[in-house]
Amino acid sequence: MNAGMAFKLSHLQSMLLFALLISIAFGFLSRRRPMDRVKYIVWSLFLFLLIGVGIGWAMYPFSH
Amino acid sequence: MADETAVPADPPQDSRRETMAFITGVAGWLVPGLGHALLKMWGRAVMCFLTVGVLVILGAGMRGNVFSSSGNDAFDTLGYLADLGTGTFYLAARSLENNGADVSHAGGDYGTRFLATAGVLNLLAALHSYEAARGRKA
Repeated sequence: MNAGMAFKLSHLQSMLLFALLISIAFGFLSRRRPMDRVKYIVWSLFLFLLIGVGIGWAMYPFSH
Repeated sequence: MADETAVPADPPQDSRRETMAFITGVAGWLVPGLGHALLKMWGRAVMCFLTVGVLVILGAGMRGNVFSSSGNDAFDTLGYLADLGTGTFYLAARSLENNGADVSHAGGDYGTRFLATAGVLNLLAALHSYEAARGRKA
């Protein structure tokens, strides 16, 4: 792969992108009406981030 | 007296629908979103294609591990199966990653997860299109 295609993302950026993409995919697959999809995507994204950050903090004591 | 234990033969329509559902599922696996496109579910088709495509491009761009069939252990085999879930995008991921994987940093590790998630997500979408084609789910 050429150097122009290399992506350098931080932990937070990677997690945000991952959570956003999967939430959108789940929303479109599991709901039919646009409003239901938006609600599902927002709720799923929120839970992804909450649980991700929560697990991060839960592991914090073990890093010392 | 009629034999009540005999199983009635499937009507030809059911058999045809089952065949079409199978074709839809396989198409959805080979090309992300194609299964839904065949069912004229355009929003889901576009979103599956874009989501799996972006995950594969990001995963390969972050130098994630694109597993091959010559894995050393069960985890490599599982990773290979997950990567194969992207269908033809697996070949795209391999061709994008000319310099090989680099999982010595967090980006590469995230890339590996992105690629595996793209595969599993595509398998889920293909299964969804298969079920929709059978008339069980939409």
